[in-house]
Amino acid sequence: MTKSIVLQMEGIRKVFGTVVALDDVNLQLNSKEIHGLLGGNGAGKTTLMNVLFGLYKPNAGKVELHGEKVEIRSPKDAINNEIGMVHQHFLQVDSYTVTENIVLGTELKSWPTLKLEVEADQIRALSEKFGLAVDPDTIMSDLPIGVRQKVEILKALYRGVEVLILDEPTTNLTPQEVDDLFESLRVMVDEGLSIVFITHKLREVMSVCDKITVLRDGQNVLTEDRENVTEKSLVKAMVGEGLNVEESVVFSSVVSGAETRWGASEFGEPVVKVEGLHAQNEDSIVVIKDCTFEVRQKEILGVAGVAGNGQQALAECLMGVCPIHQGSVIVDGMNVSETETRDLLEGGVAYIPQDRLLDGFLPTASVAHNLILGYQRNQAYSNKGFLDWKIIFQSARQQIDEYTIMTPSAGDVAANLSGGNIQRVMLARAFAHPSSFLIAHNPTRGLDIRSIDFVYKKLFERKEAGAATLLISEDLDELFRMCDRIATIYSGEIVGILEKGEFDKYEIGRMMSGVKAND
Amino acid sequence: MDEFIPQFVGFARLVVLAIVPFVLASQGTMLGGRTGLFNVAQEGIMLLGASLGFLGAYLYGGLGYGVLLAVFSGAIAGLALAYFTTTLKMNQFVIGLAIFFFTMGLSTLFYKFVVGVTLQPPLIPTLQDLPIPVLSQIPVLGEIFFNQNSMVYFAILFSLFLYYLLYKTSFGLKLRAVGENPKAADSLGVNVDRMRYFTAIVGGMLMGLAGAYLPMVYTGTFTAGMVQGRGWIAIALTFFGGWSPGLILLGSLFFAGVEVLALRIQVGGFGIPYQFLLMLPYLATILTMIFAFKWIKAPAFLGQNYDREKRSLS
Amino acid sequence: MTDTNISTNSKAKAIAAIVLPYLLAILASFVASGIFIAIMGFNVPKAFATILFTSFRTPNGFIQTLLKFIPLMLQALAFTVPLAAGKFNIGGEGQLIVGGIGATAVGIIFADLPLPILLPLVILAGVIFGGFWAAIPAWLLYRFGINEILTTVMMNFVSFGLIDYVATQIWRDPAAGHPTTIPIGAGGELPMLISSPPLHSGIILAIIVAVGVYIYTNRTSAGYELIATGANPRASKVYGINTRKMFLLSLIIGGGLAGLSGAIEVAGYQHRLIEGLQSNFLLLGLIIGLIAKGDNSAVPFVAFFIAVLEIGASAMQRTMMIPVEMVFIVEALVLLFVLLSDVIRRR
Repeated sequence: MTKSIVLQMEGIRKVFGTVVALDDVNLQLNSKEIHGLLGGNGAGKTTLMNVLFGLYKPNAGKVELHGEKVEIRSPKDAINNEIGMVHQHFLQVDSYTVTENIVLGTELKSWPTLKLEVEADQIRALSEKFGLAVDPDTIMSDLPIGVRQKVEILKALYRGVEVLILDEPTTNLTPQEVDDLFESLRVMVDEGLSIVFITHKLREVMSVCDKITVLRDGQNVLTEDRENVTEKSLVKAMVGEGLNVEESVVFSSVVSGAETRWGASEFGEPVVKVEGLHAQNEDSIVVIKDCTFEVRQKEILGVAGVAGNGQQALAECLMGVCPIHQGSVIVDGMNVSETETRDLLEGGVAYIPQDRLLDGFLPTASVAHNLILGYQRNQAYSNKGFLDWKIIFQSARQQIDEYTIMTPSAGDVAANLSGGNIQRVMLARAFAHPSSFLIAHNPTRGLDIRSIDFVYKKLFERKEAGAATLLISEDLDELFRMCDRIATIYSGEIVGILEKGEFDKYEIGRMMSGVKAND
Repeated sequence: MDEFIPQFVGFARLVVLAIVPFVLASQGTMLGGRTGLFNVAQEGIMLLGASLGFLGAYLYGGLGYGVLLAVFSGAIAGLALAYFTTTLKMNQFVIGLAIFFFTMGLSTLFYKFVVGVTLQPPLIPTLQDLPIPVLSQIPVLGEIFFNQNSMVYFAILFSLFLYYLLYKTSFGLKLRAVGENPKAADSLGVNVDRMRYFTAIVGGMLMGLAGAYLPMVYTGTFTAGMVQGRGWIAIALTFFGGWSPGLILLGSLFFAGVEVLALRIQVGGFGIPYQFLLMLPYLATILTMIFAFKWIKAPAFLGQNYDREKRSLS
Repeated sequence: MTDTNISTNSKAKAIAAIVLPYLLAILASFVASGIFIAIMGFNVPKAFATILFTSFRTPNGFIQTLLKFIPLMLQALAFTVPLAAGKFNIGGEGQLIVGGIGATAVGIIFADLPLPILLPLVILAGVIFGGFWAAIPAWLLYRFGINEILTTVMMNFVSFGLIDYVATQIWRDPAAGHPTTIPIGAGGELPMLISSPPLHSGIILAIIVAVGVYIYTNRTSAGYELIATGANPRASKVYGINTRKMFLLSLIIGGGLAGLSGAIEVAGYQHRLIEGLQSNFLLLGLIIGLIAKGDNSAVPFVAFFIAVLEIGASAMQRTMMIPVEMVFIVEALVLLFVLLSDVIRRR
């Protein structure tokens, strides 16, 4: 079977300010192919596809479809050229129905009432054909994340795309949902689609892709058929010479075959005791239900779950931010419901929030301002209510060096930082002060492989020094690698806790969708 | 009873007459807001509309000229808002305030340049009532709704048209999507910038028209303080009406009602110092906000600019 | 590395980077408004000479400028302090009026008290009344989450009725043609620094307050919390700052500052309450605050510049018959070009 070339991207270059995000990148997509676009964060995968979809204007390079040069200046052009994209962060109007979201921007037949019955029927037919079960009449905000992703795919299919781009589509799915997705992808390819599959996960490219392109630092590193590569060769391509793969935590399982060689298993006294915790949000909706667990010294307790199942509320309950409705939380001897967040921070609780832009970052203030957020009344930085800027800047410069935060100076406005560097500010802030308990919520999101390794080593250092850690993550691989126990949260409830050694992807996947451990 | 009905009709008729500036300015605010563009220059744009509306009629001897000038100035103000916020990505509130300053200054400046300082302010003829045949003969309702000036009819019909446009057309589906999630709309080929320019300009036109109503219907003259906070109240009305054209039309009855009521009590005496009656509309506005901010949901991206190439940092 | 060299050099560069856009903005706005003035048929060089130099030609001009500078700077701070916490206080004139009412009430009721007691009371009453007037929108924001822009503006209109009531009903001065109260006690008047042309000591008070505000926002932990709240309320809350309290506090401080400006107008300038004492200070205060980009250390300088323009504009209207509103356009243009310089730098 000879395959014809559908899409050709040549010499693509994209510069953001002074940062070269893509440097002379090529990509060739054959018809009926699932093409894996692999690389760490900051490798340029999403940027390349945003160029293809007309969201970014490239500084150089050309795009050809079926051998003919096309100009794609906006998503509209991309759609007209039968290119569709499913973004990692879903682009949906929460207050619209599924149908409204899907048909938005297309020619509608339902004039003049906007009832959209014809369109809804079409969507039903499509979702059946590709195994993407969705009710078209539901309001978007009522849907769980897994279903929302199906809507994103249907959006593209409804427009009759030939090339479908999927950006990290498995991030928010349970292992079972991932399997279902892969099946749907096969159906699409059989129907004649060609798919670009962006991911940073080796296992996924190996299991679903026909061909693999690896990007690193905005450059092509490798393009091969799947049959011709191994996980090891891909790792090498992803990280380059800079990282000692043998020493890395990230690739420990790939290299040595063992899960991990880090972490002693002699735990100390419980640092955190959570008992019968109930919490409600501002709209009086229950966000945490009857949670009970402990975190001990020298222990990393993982929390698995699909995003939006109460992870943030849990973290914020432990931080004293979200009010505790019932039950008790004791952290290092402090009763959280009677302690101000500020005193918790001073008393040795550190926090890495998941949404760094929303929950941890002061864009209009300086980098130095950002590094002391929450510690502005700490004796190290202030005296009788007056700030000592000299010392603040000194320690800021130190942290900028240690955490390789790329900024012209500590006084520079923080809005100029890139995503990865903002994350490093979050890490520096959390690790700079001695803490007996750390809550880390997706601490490695947006980091390149080397920085991820740095974070993992920091976490293990803390562990060896006797500190307790709660690692909340949507990345199961990360949890398996790092944790001594994994609790799974569903709809605000801890469904079950597994010990190291009993970790099982599908077992946790079942719990992630609400099935109790012993059902 | 015999006395009550004519009194009520007279009162209700005045209320309907008084909704126009509120409705027009508020629908203009709503339109922009529905695409995420929050105009806060109503007070200034209305004042400029009042000034130019007056001057157009004064100079060229026809209210139509005044209306044209007022609408045109509003369009320019809206265009400026769209350009600085949508194309140049500058802060919407700051630009809104800047436009407020400009329009405030220009309104008096134009007036002084054209009319100068006079002992007796010149007058323009006010807008005539235009009773609608047959309908105006309906008892009670006819007098209240169908024996008004043409701008009253326009304000009501345009509100209904906006409702249809926003909720029953594919264009409205796109327009609202831009205010709820511009990136989603953009990724589906909706031109976010063009939509924002459109609503800003049309919104500005409505505000200019709202301003022109004041000299053309109420006073026949222009004075620097004549808008009296109606522009700000229009923002309040927009929240009160839940950013929806139909409810804004209904809600305007309340704001206009308080305005007319305050004047009525003043004339009637009742021993309350008139200063406190003058406060009524503003106090009532604050009061309604307590309810509005509890119930309503503003467009999700209200007041936020959209930059396609801004790298998502998370 | 030659550290010192680099730092002086970069410091000079940093200052140039701040000042240059302002100068260019002023130049551009003068060119733009000059064209407008020329079209209207006026003598452009003479108009600008009047606008710029009236303040510096005579001692009286300079003192007038300083007297204008006091309320303008305080009004601007009444806007920028809440702005630091991300809140827009558009109620400065209402807070000024009510502060003025408070100061006048105390000055009239306790007219017989000696200066060392009455003057502080008068000033304090202005601050407290102004703070109270801002506390109403602040509380509505705190309790119900109501947008403060709307409520602060509404409170301005409410205060117009209030001052009219006070000046025509409670303490009306029957001899005055315009709504005015009787004078406050002599002990409530701010002492004069210079008697002719008269300059009262309110200027010292205003400068002390400006320095105090700068220290508070830039040098203290409490000020840090204010700024952090403005930069990202959600993150500040997560990291233990009581942001709702910050909103409340910042608006009340703003109201206090505006109230102070009212008290100084009464105690220093008018010695009684005159309807309309708020002039157009609110709008000018907003313009100053925005031109200063909310930076409290820049506010006094910008306020002085605007005071110079305002004094020049009155002279221009007197001598050349160009309406004073012309200078308002100039000021708005300066603001616009200062904002635009940021956009250009971003690219």
